[in-house]
Amino acid sequence: MSLNKNNISIYFLILTVQILTAQSSETSKDSIQFEALNDVIITATRTIRQLSSLPLPASIISKKDLKAINAVRLSDILNEQTGLITVADFGGGEGIQMQGLDAAYTLILVDGVPLIGRSAGTLDLNRITVGNIKQIEIIKGSSSSLYGNEALGGVINIITETPKYGIKGNVQQRAASFGTFDTRASIGYKNDRLSLSGFVNRYSSNGYNLSENTSTNTVEPFENYTISSKASYAFSAATVASFSGRIFTQKQEYIASESLQGESNINEWNVHSKLKHHFNERWKSSLEFYATSYSATEFLDDITTNSTFSDADFEQLMLRPELRTAFEASEKTSFIGGIGYVYETLDRTYFDEKPRFKSPYAYVQYDGNPLKKLNLIVGARFDNHNKYASQFSPKLAIRYDFTPKLAVKSSVGYGFKAPDFRQLYFNFTNATVGYTVLGYNAVADAIAQLESEGQIANQIVPTSAFSDELKPESSLSINVGVDYKPIKSLSFQLNFFRNTIDDLIDTRIIANKTNGQNVFSYTNVNEVYTQGLEFSSNWKITENLKFSGGYQLLFAKDIAAEKAFENGQVFARESPSSPSFQLQKEDYFGLYNRSRHSANGKLFYNFPAWNLDTNIRATYRSKYGIADTNGNNYLDRYDNFVSGYAIWDFAINKKFYEKYTLGFGIDNLFDFTDPQNISNIAGRIVYGNLTIQF
Amino acid sequence: MMKNFKFLTLAFLCIGFFSCSNDDDATPELLPVNSETVLNLHAPQNGGQGQPVSGAFTKFNFATGEITTSETDWDIAFRGTSIIVNGGTSLGTTDEPERTGNGAAYIADGTMNSVTEVTIGNFIQDSETRYAIASGSGNGWYTYAGPPTHLIQPTPGKILVIKTHDERYAKVEILSYYKDAPANPDAFADETPYFTFNYVYQPNSNITTF
Repeated sequence: MSLNKNNISIYFLILTVQILTAQSSETSKDSIQFEALNDVIITATRTIRQLSSLPLPASIISKKDLKAINAVRLSDILNEQTGLITVADFGGGEGIQMQGLDAAYTLILVDGVPLIGRSAGTLDLNRITVGNIKQIEIIKGSSSSLYGNEALGGVINIITETPKYGIKGNVQQRAASFGTFDTRASIGYKNDRLSLSGFVNRYSSNGYNLSENTSTNTVEPFENYTISSKASYAFSAATVASFSGRIFTQKQEYIASESLQGESNINEWNVHSKLKHHFNERWKSSLEFYATSYSATEFLDDITTNSTFSDADFEQLMLRPELRTAFEASEKTSFIGGIGYVYETLDRTYFDEKPRFKSPYAYVQYDGNPLKKLNLIVGARFDNHNKYASQFSPKLAIRYDFTPKLAVKSSVGYGFKAPDFRQLYFNFTNATVGYTVLGYNAVADAIAQLESEGQIANQIVPTSAFSDELKPESSLSINVGVDYKPIKSLSFQLNFFRNTIDDLIDTRIIANKTNGQNVFSYTNVNEVYTQGLEFSSNWKITENLKFSGGYQLLFAKDIAAEKAFENGQVFARESPSSPSFQLQKEDYFGLYNRSRHSANGKLFYNFPAWNLDTNIRATYRSKYGIADTNGNNYLDRYDNFVSGYAIWDFAINKKFYEKYTLGFGIDNLFDFTDPQNISNIAGRIVYGNLTIQF
Repeated sequence: MMKNFKFLTLAFLCIGFFSCSNDDDATPELLPVNSETVLNLHAPQNGGQGQPVSGAFTKFNFATGEITTSETDWDIAFRGTSIIVNGGTSLGTTDEPERTGNGAAYIADGTMNSVTEVTIGNFIQDSETRYAIASGSGNGWYTYAGPPTHLIQPTPGKILVIKTHDERYAKVEILSYYKDAPANPDAFADETPYFTFNYVYQPNSNITTF
């Protein structure tokens, strides 16, 4: 025993770590044979764990689910999950809101490594095809103890397909409304040692227009390609090397007005290589190297004068080596730890310099059962950084199984999101309106420059206020939940959550310009919280009929705003030109873009005799505000709200001659649109697709 | 008990009587304080949006309740979203009038009903670096909504407390920047800058309440 202990400390001193392939032991742990027991998840602990035994709020979307609803892009499927809402970004992208936290706070991984390219904070989910996805894993609550930066609200990990024995492949063609086409082909080969796979996807659309403006569209026509491949080779039963690569390229028209026309391009690639080795039954390590690059360029030409109007580019690069080691002390006890290094650069128009981020990190985690019915996860991660304060992110999660049917779980974690490049280095002046936005670290030089040009009328915040570092946004997240499975065919999950975010980064006016406009910069100001409850249920009504439903109640508020309302410092008007009056505490609605209620319901039906499956799904979100419309800077009950809405989808798939599947469906059955407020809902989409398997 | 009550009543009556007669004797009759509304004060400006601004300010006199072209007898003046007072020094923009009076201003948080007293210490005058009523969205009297509405709306709860050029006081609540103060203004259709505002003018000197 003492030898063992020494081993542990030595290994953690040198901070090696592991990938755990404890699947066999994990699945045999629980003897109640439910279907759900087959669902394993690796994102929650970076080891293979049964979803149903986790102490964290987590869920899985399987390939079967993706096929049933004929999903095309990642946003299609995430929007139907309880507590997840896709939110449109200014640039036309779609991000995900999780537990009421903004899209910038959810880390998106592909096979455990992060995607980059958040030019305005949001990672566009439409960049990701679901064509080669095996399953999607969703962890709610701060997960920086394992994943570091950005995992403040949660983590979404996309696990790509791995080949099965022999040569297998499939081809799918889809046509849909708005001139949208999706073509995908995948092929895989596997024998005892070698596995190879390739995937190609082309996705294009004519876009759509919700406004009356005829010279521009809401979404301009685009075309994109995703090409990915994976290879792995087992040198022996204990040593496996794998390599995967992915390329994404998109071209889209960029039209600002009748005379200003151009194009925007995205080029992204990533490579991920990994060497796994099992030293013995208990010790396993993996060494991986990940590199990714995201580049976006866009230009506008004035076609009346044949001159360039604007030209902007964004080029981000990330390199990340990591070494992980896992030690399985006993059947129910495992340790995992890792060390790694993140190197990141960004070359961008409106940056005066090419910044470099360097961030070494290390993490450890214990996962065990100190008591038979009690599962405990304790973990922590340390991230050092060359541009902001080091971060220590602990996490604790406990699950207690009262009976095989009833379990209580709770987790507390710290999460952080580092200031991004834009918040530190931006130096941008709007050419037509004349305001200026400066990154925190760019303030001193840029203000001096503006001052020497006589553009500053009045400096409100002195330059000395920017001598300290801009602090990362951090959050404490608490989840308490109950899993209840009264009978084999019925399950309930209830989870209460509260995320408190400190040092939220926001913009403020730091100087007035002589042209009457302002200079803005970023600062740590607000403290906000999001809290509420999530409820979800699965019910297998008959062998062929299945229902699932979910609901989220959400309160997302700014603490300073709450105080201002309490102190009677906030005023409003009944109409824009009527006299103002004082608002009460209960008049404060909360943060923008947060619906108090959101819900989903899905009904799946199988006709085995006909080889046919069909489903009908509905998602609902209640009213929310997107802007302060009465000029007091707060969202209150006298503001204009976006009305609540429901979207209904229908899909049917029939398999024939074993190898062919024909799909048909209508998304947004009742053709809901809100041209004024919601840019990412195009209207009714009718589609058909044919899949051939071989 | 009853005796006490009677005595108190009597005492109050006496106080009331004497104080009334006192007023009549000692103080001259006060001018009435009135609540007024000004509709569509037109205050155009040239330039802006990154270009140098120019154009004559539209001047207003609280005592007459009228627009004036007088170079001295004005209290506040408007141009675009800028509001200046007749006191202090010019910011130096083109066509800005000379300050000839002792005017000043500050912005109070509240409603027209709740701002009942002038806080003399809060007054500031226009200067070379800033207007007493700060310019820019969110700094002074208005908030610019930005895209997609681009509306310029008076910030609720901002009451402009004004010292006039001849040292009287007034309180002002701007209600609209759009012509005819529409209930639902449209930045693309409604004309600007047309100020509609409520004001209360205290015509009596040295009285700091409204």
